[in-house]
Amino acid sequence: MNQNKEERMEIQEEDTQKGRFLTFKLGEEVFGLEIKYVTEIVGIQPITNIPEVPEYVKGIINLRGKIIPVIDVRIKFKKEPIEYDERTCIIVIDIDDMSVGLIVDNVSEVVTIKDEDIVPPPSYKTGFQNKYIKGVGKSKDGVKLLLDSNKLLTNEEKQGISDIEL
Amino acid sequence: MKKVLIVDDAAFMRHTIKAMLEKNGFEIIGEAENGALGVERYKELSPDIVTMDITMPEKDGIEALKDIKKIDSNASVLMVSAMGQEKLVKNSIIAGAKGFIVKPFKEDKLVEALSKL
Amino acid sequence: MSDDFNNYSEPMLEMFIFETNQSMEQLEEILLNIEGNSKITDDDINEIFRIMHTIKGSSSMMMFNNISKLTHSLEDLFYFIREKEIYDIDLTKLSDLVFSTIDFITLEISKIEQGNEPDGDAGELTDEIKDFLNSLKKELPEGEVVSLENKEEPENFISKEYTSENYNKYIGKIFFEEDCKMENMRAFSLLRDLEDLISDVSYKPEDLFEDEDAAEKIIKDGFNILFKSEKDYEDIFNILNNGMFVKLVELEEIDSSEVIDDKMNEKEKDDKDKIAKNIKNPFSLNKSKNIISVNVEKMDVLMDLVGEIVITESMVTKNPEIQDLELENFDKAARQLRKLNNELQDIVMSIRMIQIGPTFHKMHRIVRDMNKQLDKDTRLEISGEETEVDKNIIDTLGEPLMHLIRNSLDHGIESAEERIEKGKPERGLIALDAVNTGGDVIISIKDDGKGLDKDMILEKASKNNLLSKSPEEMSDKEIFSLILLPGFSTKDDVSEYSGRGVGMDVVKKSIDKVGGNIQIESQKDVGTTINIKIPLTLAIIDGMKISVGDSIFTVPTTTIKESFKAKDEDLVKDTSGKEMILIRGEVYPVVRLHEIFNLDANEMNLKDGILVMVETEESSYCLFADEILGEQQVVVKPIPFYLRQYKVKDSGVAGCAILGNADISLILDISGISNKYI
Repeated sequence: MNQNKEERMEIQEEDTQKGRFLTFKLGEEVFGLEIKYVTEIVGIQPITNIPEVPEYVKGIINLRGKIIPVIDVRIKFKKEPIEYDERTCIIVIDIDDMSVGLIVDNVSEVVTIKDEDIVPPPSYKTGFQNKYIKGVGKSKDGVKLLLDSNKLLTNEEKQGISDIEL
Repeated sequence: MKKVLIVDDAAFMRHTIKAMLEKNGFEIIGEAENGALGVERYKELSPDIVTMDITMPEKDGIEALKDIKKIDSNASVLMVSAMGQEKLVKNSIIAGAKGFIVKPFKEDKLVEALSKL
Repeated sequence: MSDDFNNYSEPMLEMFIFETNQSMEQLEEILLNIEGNSKITDDDINEIFRIMHTIKGSSSMMMFNNISKLTHSLEDLFYFIREKEIYDIDLTKLSDLVFSTIDFITLEISKIEQGNEPDGDAGELTDEIKDFLNSLKKELPEGEVVSLENKEEPENFISKEYTSENYNKYIGKIFFEEDCKMENMRAFSLLRDLEDLISDVSYKPEDLFEDEDAAEKIIKDGFNILFKSEKDYEDIFNILNNGMFVKLVELEEIDSSEVIDDKMNEKEKDDKDKIAKNIKNPFSLNKSKNIISVNVEKMDVLMDLVGEIVITESMVTKNPEIQDLELENFDKAARQLRKLNNELQDIVMSIRMIQIGPTFHKMHRIVRDMNKQLDKDTRLEISGEETEVDKNIIDTLGEPLMHLIRNSLDHGIESAEERIEKGKPERGLIALDAVNTGGDVIISIKDDGKGLDKDMILEKASKNNLLSKSPEEMSDKEIFSLILLPGFSTKDDVSEYSGRGVGMDVVKKSIDKVGGNIQIESQKDVGTTINIKIPLTLAIIDGMKISVGDSIFTVPTTTIKESFKAKDEDLVKDTSGKEMILIRGEVYPVVRLHEIFNLDANEMNLKDGILVMVETEESSYCLFADEILGEQQVVVKPIPFYLRQYKVKDSGVAGCAILGNADISLILDISGISNKYI
């Protein structure tokens, strides 16, 4: 009995958070990230290089004693990388106990987008980022590409035998 | 608050008795896991009440009871027994235990027993 | 479980589970010992009795009656064996009964741990135990067994004869609280309370000690007592009413003309003899010393804090702002701080680290059981038991180890006849070892069985589409590692023991979870060795900082042999053009850090930078860097989980360290670099 009640409450909570997205910009495009995964936002800071990682994994940072890997989202989306400046931000997301920082041009604001204002992503390929987009949200100041946080964090290279290093 | 010393070789029993008594306004001032240590603690701490497991290594409950009675003939010791240990219970009564309680027991029984000591 | 326990059931339950599990382990060890020696000693019997007695008590408190009844029956059995001093006993049957009990209880406990009802039925086993006890009883000359005491006359009290005329006569009926148990003893207790004040006592039920139904009678009809006393009614009533668990006292003064019985009791001296006999064998030493159990989560928090303190201490004492200042008092205080922190670290680390011995010892039981079932006689040799491993690693190691040993026994070790034919010793051998290499712990399982069949493995892998290279290009190591792939073994070919529908890939997953890796070596008809390397998750190590361009790396000091500047004449190249250096007659490979990590170094010429000679069990070589910056104690932070999907772990990076200025320094994996680049 109790468990059902808890489940229902959890779903409700998800519903109320579901519509809230943190938006950020890469160039002219605006992207949205579900707020429930975002744990904090920090300014760009010194990054320590790590060997044997794809280009978009820039390295690791020290966040108050915790070591967080950071990804340059521009590079991940196969866009032209730019120089980091004081507006560049790192959005730290936490999924399944895994923390990752996303380097973005700048962070805008948190918006609420209702379910009915979200349409599925376009079927034609307009950019590499398509596989990471869950949907397209319409809000008063324009269209936002809503990202699938889970997909963002998985390695698209094939796993398996390549993993076995001897 | 009455001060209690718990003597029992099973950590589980010490833990359980402590939890039961603390909930009911008793202060646990010490624990010991065998009779010999129990007597030592008794000397150090001078508790108002001792709960004493009947069978323990390194000096069992009855021997420890006797030692404690030598220190204070009026010591309040409650023996903790299991079913089937009647002879031991009898001997502890003869040795001066003020009462006994038999496992398994519920909290209310333990508290009632101590209230008589 | 009773409602009474709901308020504090969690910690009580945890304690019960912890203690019972511990007891089961102890019990198993004793049993294996008994089996190994084919002999049971007094200490063994006492210890087993004590364990059964304790669990009977605690499980009854927790209302787990199936466990309580089962342990009660074993307690009775061992009580009998002890009292009757029986040594000529069917040890096989006895140990089977105890092992079955251990298994039952362990299973029930795991149900409880998972939040389920311990609904197992031990009826059959309990009956078996009782039957065994009865068979022992039959073999004895006498019939009566329960105690060593002879039948006595019903005991009563020393009843004083009053000479005085000034007494009252009383008749009393006392009822005790429901379920206070041993009502006959409570009655006895009341008699003691009154002892000095009363005389000419008679009571009913007359026999409080030998009459098995005495307690029942008291419950039904109360404890009836008749006596004379000089004390007045109030005093007697109060004494009776204050008895423990007394519910109701009916007391009446009666006419002194009524007749009362007077019996003499036996002397208390006899009682004392009987006490001595009953507990004549002192129980063997309780194994627990002054130990408290601590919640693992608290330990985790404590460990994190200690790590933070180390980092913060560096941030203070190695702060760039003060590096150029000469501060004598500050330095002194800083050294003291460092000293205290070291002590703190040592103690906290030692709390978390647990010897792997007990985990290894558990494997004896597995080997024993499997030997029986497979009709093999394999030995298990254990070494490196004192090797300490972090607690959370020990927890995840158990299952994989079990699985690997089962594999060895099932598929590796041949039958006795086969072994003799091959010229091997009849008994198979599995050697379990653990060694600490500073940054990792290496656990190896080595058997002298028939080894892995390369062709069979390749065939299977090819059948299941798992080959990414052609077999000719694969090294032996790579071929053997194929068995670790998911999908390698199918449900069909899994025997009852190794697998249960589960393959080596599950073992690999468990090891991956703690950041370790598995390496397999094997030789046909010689045997198979499986090496599991597990990095210490939270380590505080002494590291040497070296710089390459803008990057700072940390080399574990334990691996460093020496450092020096290279001289032209010592630099050589081997046949494939690899750089080597000649030191005291030996040649060592040179690994350029800027090359393997793709960095811009300040020094490119081997003569201008610094060479650091490092050593692992397998190899020695020299690292080439720009300069050495100094020693520092660092907290090893593992590589973030997210990066595990890339090959960082195998690229020569063991972990990360946070420096005094908050920068991150990569900790070099000295053996990893050797494996990959040399």
